Amino acid sequence: MNSVSPSAAQYVGLVMQDEQVESWRQPALERQGSFGFRAPQVSDASREAAREPDEMDKVKAKLMSAWNNVKYGWTIKTKTSFNKISPVTVLGHSYLLNSEDEVERFRRDFVSRIWLTYRREFSPLEGSTWTTDCGWGCMLRSGQMLLAQGLVVHLMPRDWAWPDAQQLTDVDFEVFRPRSPVRAGGVPIPSFGSLRGSGSPEKLPASGQAPRYCQRRRPESAKDRQAEPIHSKLITWFGDQPSAPFGVHQLVEIGKSSGKKAGDWYGPSIVAHILRKAVAKTSVAQTLAVYVAQDCTVYKEDVVRLCDLSLSQRPADPSNQAWKSVIILVPVRLGGEALNPSYIECVKNILKLDCCIGVIGGKPKHSLYFIGFQDEQLLYLDPHFCQPVVDVAQADFSLESFHCSSPKKMPFSRMDPSCTIGFYAKNKKDFESLCSAVSMALSSSKEKYPIFTFVEGQGQDYGLEGHSSNHGGPLAHILPPGPLSRSNNRRSSEEFVFL
Amino acid sequence: MPPLDRTPQQNRPFKQRKSFATRKQEVAGIRSKFPNKIPVIIERYEKEKYLPPLDKTKFLVPHELTMTQFVTIIRNRMALLPSQAFYLLINNSGLASMSLTMAQVYKDHQDEDGFLYMTYASQEMFGH
Repeated sequence: MNSVSPSAAQYVGLVMQDEQVESWRQPALERQGSFGFRAPQVSDASREAAREPDEMDKVKAKLMSAWNNVKYGWTIKTKTSFNKISPVTVLGHSYLLNSEDEVERFRRDFVSRIWLTYRREFSPLEGSTWTTDCGWGCMLRSGQMLLAQGLVVHLMPRDWAWPDAQQLTDVDFEVFRPRSPVRAGGVPIPSFGSLRGSGSPEKLPASGQAPRYCQRRRPESAKDRQAEPIHSKLITWFGDQPSAPFGVHQLVEIGKSSGKKAGDWYGPSIVAHILRKAVAKTSVAQTLAVYVAQDCTVYKEDVVRLCDLSLSQRPADPSNQAWKSVIILVPVRLGGEALNPSYIECVKNILKLDCCIGVIGGKPKHSLYFIGFQDEQLLYLDPHFCQPVVDVAQADFSLESFHCSSPKKMPFSRMDPSCTIGFYAKNKKDFESLCSAVSMALSSSKEKYPIFTFVEGQGQDYGLEGHSSNHGGPLAHILPPGPLSRSNNRRSSEEFVFL
Repeated sequence: MPPLDRTPQQNRPFKQRKSFATRKQEVAGIRSKFPNKIPVIIERYEKEKYLPPLDKTKFLVPHELTMTQFVTIIRNRMALLPSQAFYLLINNSGLASMSLTMAQVYKDHQDEDGFLYMTYASQEMFGH
């Protein structure tokens, strides 16, 4: 638990308010110069005034992000322990961390996942004065990570790993504990202080302490190295600038049609729809579509219609594949107030699937991107680390702040019941096997009914067509009030609605 | 949907408003009149912030109606968009498969008083 003293929270609240007020003033002044909304002549004095709040904003944004990073444990780091008895699952891959090799494989897998976090000092979001998403955008960031993972499996070589993946920090592997007296002093794995954001990569110290396993290279790493340009390209799509197709600017813009705006909180279902629209809108992912299930149902015919290009009316383009790859997003609610414990097994089984690209949800009010588990704990990537913006338009921008080196876990029991589960299918055959594999995983729930289902046909086939005669105009009959009803008001809600 | 002038009495869950005996009696009465209908209680999740209150709580539902159709009816009553999150939780804990008929759900989950209890909720928002 991150407990915050009320006074501290108040302080942060004040800072945020102030910042909003001032950053509201500041772009207005900037605009005078760049777009000439007002007289282009600006006196030196007002230029000074414009510069000053700008500096103030920066200081305050930094304070706020520093506070945020303290609050969410990114500054005062705690170690995450991994035992050597139970396998750790990361999106369909399992690692039994009882050897250096396995720890190394786990490291490569974990660190290769794309990590998208709060950023500060980006250009203001359209129609607002927000230049950071710190404190409100975590669900959008989790959504970005889910989509990024979908794009990684879509575009990168199978089981791709980032050749420059950092060493893990703030971890404690049981396998290293009893054996080595050198590491017994509480430093099971070299833990380097946070160099994040400072731009210097976390390299192993030159000292002989460097564990051997870090140096090991996989034979496939040449292939992975060749894929690096795609890796970088993929990250630019999530850049914090208006032109990035999956950047926070674009996602906030798309969210406006769902009644959301910059600064609002988002939910896993809304974000699923925002991602669907973002992918449909951009030209960078034309071989990919996103399907969002409604009412916990995946209508297979609807997925086919979305993916099978031979069904569409568009003129046949020989360069087009006949079948689009698809990301299937299923927004669910796994309980009322808290997660229904009988769904835990099912969530685990889903995370074990190869076709699963993760789950976006979180702890209550606090969004996280779940990518795996060990025993009764979920493994996640946390977007609540506020980093300075990276200009992804620069050639050779650093990829480092887009990958996380400290795996974190939390108990299933704290998982918020609201989440969106993601899957990916490359082609038609993949989709068929996805349907059966997922159905199998779902049927393992201790709860009598699965979390969601796959059905043949289209959504509209299952709607009210068959019942429309009953419910067309006068939607339902209301039974005459029974003897129990008393007051008028009371009566109206006490009657049975006759469907 | 006009906002209801809800008295505290009516804000309390149905089960708390009426005694077990009253509820049981009510089910027996309605079942004898309409043996082909299932008595369902639908209430808003107590912490729901985004979905509107429903003007009615008690529904008599045909056996063969599927969950999908039932959800669509409730969604329409609230004038929700298809993309708006809406979940019916049985006994406030589990989701029901959409392909099930009301008769199946009733058979598995009816309360001792004879009603089938469902709670509707959207999704939580995240931001911290």
